[in-house]
Amino acid sequence: MAEEEDEAGYEDELDDGSGGVDAGGHGKRKRLFSKELRCMMYGFGDDQNPYTESVDILEDLVIEFITEMTHKAMSIGRQGRVQVEDIVFLIRKDPRKFARVKDLLTMNEELKRARKAFDEANYGS
Amino acid sequence: MADPARMIKPEVKAERAASAHEERPKSEGSGDAAAAAKPTDVNKESSSQDAVKEEETSETAAGEDDDEQSAAKRLKVDPEKKKERRQKVDEDEIQKMQVLVSSFSEEQLNRYEMYRRSAFPKAAIKRLIQSITGSSVSQNVVIAMSGISKVFAGEIVEEALDVCEKWGETPPLQPKHMREAVRRLKCKDQIPNTKHKQILFH
Repeated sequence: MAEEEDEAGYEDELDDGSGGVDAGGHGKRKRLFSKELRCMMYGFGDDQNPYTESVDILEDLVIEFITEMTHKAMSIGRQGRVQVEDIVFLIRKDPRKFARVKDLLTMNEELKRARKAFDEANYGS
Repeated sequence: MADPARMIKPEVKAERAASAHEERPKSEGSGDAAAAAKPTDVNKESSSQDAVKEEETSETAAGEDDDEQSAAKRLKVDPEKKKERRQKVDEDEIQKMQVLVSSFSEEQLNRYEMYRRSAFPKAAIKRLIQSITGSSVSQNVVIAMSGISKVFAGEIVEEALDVCEKWGETPPLQPKHMREAVRRLKCKDQIPNTKHKQILFH
């Protein structure tokens, strides 16, 4: 509805404004995540070829989500910077996202440790 | 059509917890998801079994002390017991997931592979966040943000599929399903919106 178009217009201003006013509203910025979002939508249950308009709507929503989270994270904790602790704090009420972030960060630490141990083993031999 | 990603939602949540690392090998250039999944699963199982054995030996050692010592020692045993229980639960989940995935049809396997492997490009996310903050962000922030965004996209697609089913229509999701899904999620406060400030008492 009109709501979606307003939000899309908002983000276009935030971006490095490509010149010229587009009557469509959505088309000003290049699509960042088209390929990945198609795969993602198929993985989450949609058809193998999702509609381009649906992918566009989802991309706008994701970009808006990231923008909102970034702005909120900048306003708490250390002002003007985005840190992991701020993101974890913002997401604390949502069990799925919270668990996911915790797992990703734990896994990342484990992988870093494993890679470091592997590199040291190689270097030794 | 059968939809493994949606049907196994409760297991998936836990499975994402248990085997999130399976997405990493893809970044190091491994081949087929099924082929990559099996060896990493075996590795994880053997490593977690080793970890469980370590937990057991340390626990019995602590148990002997406990008989002679005070409540302070007893407190030390409980978190270890919990960790061991959690690892056993993880192993159960891993085994159940393996059984489930091994019984997937070709189409379900495809969809599951897409579900596990799809991800937002880290470079684009980093560029987006940096364009908003104006300063650089650490790698962990990018990892966390792309992970949360994927969960967010999943929530919207799942809600949209519910809407689609409720309205008696068939899959390729149409924009009207997406918008109705967003409206519903907004009511549940799942979609952050700081643009409209509501003044309660005027």
